[in-house]
Amino acid sequence: MSVWDAVAAEGTRPQQLADTVALLSDAVGRAALRAAAQDPDGTLPLEVAPPQPSSGQRAAAQEAARVWQGLGVRVALAGDPAWPSVIDRVPGPPALLAWRGPDRLPPGPAVAVVGARRATPYGTGVAAWLAQAAAEAGVTVVSGGARGIDAAAHGASARHGTVVVLGCGHDVPYPQEHARAGGLFDRVLDGGGAIVSELLPGTPPRPGAVRSRNRIVAGLADAVVVVEGREGSGALVTAGVAADAGIEVLAVPGDVRAPGSAAPHLLLREGAAVCADPSDLLAALSVTGGPGAHGERGADTVSVLPPKVLTELRQRWPRPVRASALASAAGLTLPETMACIVRGRVAGEVAEGPEGVRLRRAP
Amino acid sequence: MHARLSAVALVGLEAHRVDVECSTGQGLPGLRLVGLPDAAVRESADRVRAAFHRLRLPWPEGKVVVNLAPAQLRKVGGGFDLSIAVAILAATGVVPAGAVVGLTAIGELGLDGLVRPVPGMLPLVAAAARLGAERVAVPLRGSAESALVHGVRLLAVDDLGQLVAVLRDGLRPEQPVAPAPVEHSDGLDLSDVRGQELGRRAVELAAAGGHHLLLAGPPGCGKTLLAQRLPGLLPPLALDDALESAAVLSAAGERDPDAPLDLRPPFRAPHHSTSAAGLLGGGSGIPRPGAISCAHHGVLFLDELLEIPRHVLDGLREPLEGGTVALTRAAGTVRYPARVQLVAATNPCPCGDLGRDDRTCRCRPDQVTRYRGRLSGPLLDRIDLQVELERVPAATLVELPAGEATDVVAARVRVARAVALERDGGLTSQVRWAVLRRAVGVDAQRRVARVADALGWSARGVERCMRVARTIADLDDSAGVSDAHVDEAAGYRLAVPA
Repeated sequence: MSVWDAVAAEGTRPQQLADTVALLSDAVGRAALRAAAQDPDGTLPLEVAPPQPSSGQRAAAQEAARVWQGLGVRVALAGDPAWPSVIDRVPGPPALLAWRGPDRLPPGPAVAVVGARRATPYGTGVAAWLAQAAAEAGVTVVSGGARGIDAAAHGASARHGTVVVLGCGHDVPYPQEHARAGGLFDRVLDGGGAIVSELLPGTPPRPGAVRSRNRIVAGLADAVVVVEGREGSGALVTAGVAADAGIEVLAVPGDVRAPGSAAPHLLLREGAAVCADPSDLLAALSVTGGPGAHGERGADTVSVLPPKVLTELRQRWPRPVRASALASAAGLTLPETMACIVRGRVAGEVAEGPEGVRLRRAP
Repeated sequence: MHARLSAVALVGLEAHRVDVECSTGQGLPGLRLVGLPDAAVRESADRVRAAFHRLRLPWPEGKVVVNLAPAQLRKVGGGFDLSIAVAILAATGVVPAGAVVGLTAIGELGLDGLVRPVPGMLPLVAAAARLGAERVAVPLRGSAESALVHGVRLLAVDDLGQLVAVLRDGLRPEQPVAPAPVEHSDGLDLSDVRGQELGRRAVELAAAGGHHLLLAGPPGCGKTLLAQRLPGLLPPLALDDALESAAVLSAAGERDPDAPLDLRPPFRAPHHSTSAAGLLGGGSGIPRPGAISCAHHGVLFLDELLEIPRHVLDGLREPLEGGTVALTRAAGTVRYPARVQLVAATNPCPCGDLGRDDRTCRCRPDQVTRYRGRLSGPLLDRIDLQVELERVPAATLVELPAGEATDVVAARVRVARAVALERDGGLTSQVRWAVLRRAVGVDAQRRVARVADALGWSARGVERCMRVARTIADLDDSAGVSDAHVDEAAGYRLAVPA
């Protein structure tokens, strides 16, 4: 009887998985269960046989374990030495966590930067700002692996090691542009971060799975910042779980007319702390500020951009500026502006999107 | 009795000589047409017979056989009527047999003997001249087009009776004269485009280097306005090029045969619902030229690029690369010239509101990514200049002064093109890689490589940047390509959403 047979027979939804793990660990003890879980063919010395899975179910479960092995995924069950015990604070904690990356998830203070997939440049700019400042102050950034705010947060802090929590199995390439070679996930792993999932390989990113993923995001963090989200946003689930578990919730105020401000404003109304600056975030975590926490950085570093261009970009940050607007504000011709934008991009100072250019770092 | 003269059959723009033979002799009275005639050619028998009757020309008493050789070539259209009629006249001795030696006749007959022009008079007469015809009988109506061909004597006649007079009585019809070529003005001036500096700059660069251009921007930002003004910035066509363009239009039946030769580069803007046949050419029988060939030596404007079906767009790749479009059908392959400068326009995202200050885009980031992803790939790889335009608010529009006029910009373009032509022997967008590298220089190549590394470009991106940088330097009247030129060139690419 393999542990995977049992899992396959009982089902792979998080609650079923938790039940199976509890049942098996009562029967054989944690150590044996853990050893068996790492081995697709490992057998359990069970005295009372659990329900027999069909051969198809068994093959599927063994395949799952093989996929994990192939991806170099580490599996921890609740209570293992590598188990991040902070996760047990959330209601309905996961029974197992599987992650790619380091042996243990990064310890120490962590902040969840979460928000909408359909983010505005303002939202992604603020998320990147907060995430980078937090990471430079030694705080681990936790977020989902989605596009929009999640991606902006990871993108700005990936080199410091972030934690991505997936709403699907490890082998499901979702979202595609993050999962492909050289994408965001690879950058997170290269930076020493981890990619976590409680789901078995092959589990597709169903809306339910993505929402239950949010409780892990909250559980792994010491504070949750909601940047942008519409009514009914998944970020509200993260914030709700966090509030229930006694984890600090902050919200970034947005444009009062923008639909993407509904979620953070709802949270603010319900008593979440205002996060208007990385220092708000670090104060909530009781961490003293790193180099990016306060506004002066960038002013004294040498820039490849002409001073007037830099001033305009600083004033508009985090909103992007069009090349033509930049040209007239800085008193340059359009060709000159185009050239200096490319110089800034080559130097890594500015980022360009369909809506224009903006400084990569907060001014 | 037997007589023979020539006619010309067009397969696409490729001309084939057709010998029209007539033999009269014993048998049941009637006209038999052989030599793979299509329906329109077969109907020719009735038209010819009616014309003879009307003009009181003697119809042979016995059996008349008219053969169009070579027999394996399919003969299409009404252009053989005149040659069939003359062959019968010569076979019956109404006109002396010697009078039809070295004669080629092209034209459709009316029931009263009127001679009408057929589509493609220009390539037909040009082919007749090339195939060695001494005299070509053509319709008087629309003979201005035939007169564009040099080195052949035209017998321009209004009806069959007149041609009989020419061939029998030695009447010499007046040689038609082609009106002098003109540069037709469409009245569109670049000064109409207010604001939109980026777009104006891009159009100028496109004109100077012959680069393909992509304009992305919300509806109403002036993409079409800019595209329509590109032909005005281009130098007038060389006579040979104008003739080539006119020949395609003539074959497509889209040219007024009495109009003077137009030296303005053609502009074609097929609607986005156009079919592959409409864009690239096609149709039953011998494929007709599509919009891309009608824009030969000119500008093809594709608005709403992403609304055009994928398979239609994919068909553009080969002509954009090679300058010809090959339409292969069961009956054979037809080639039309298709050297065009492509201007494509697209919305920035599915809803069109991305990047607008006054409205929020309703698209999810993945929708935007997917939408723009459809742009990428082999077609986008061939578009050197890509710019993102923004909508100029109406209030600003009113305040803005008129932009530089077409004359001013066209003068700069002319100089830059002349410089590039003298240095490289071709347009910067088209010269070979080795020539381009020499023209760009080592330092600029290093700068391009550095930018490409930092921004993660492919080899195609490097090449495009080098071409645009060379054009920028030419417009800047600079012999070498500087870092600033390269940096500006690198900016003319669509950004991918973060």
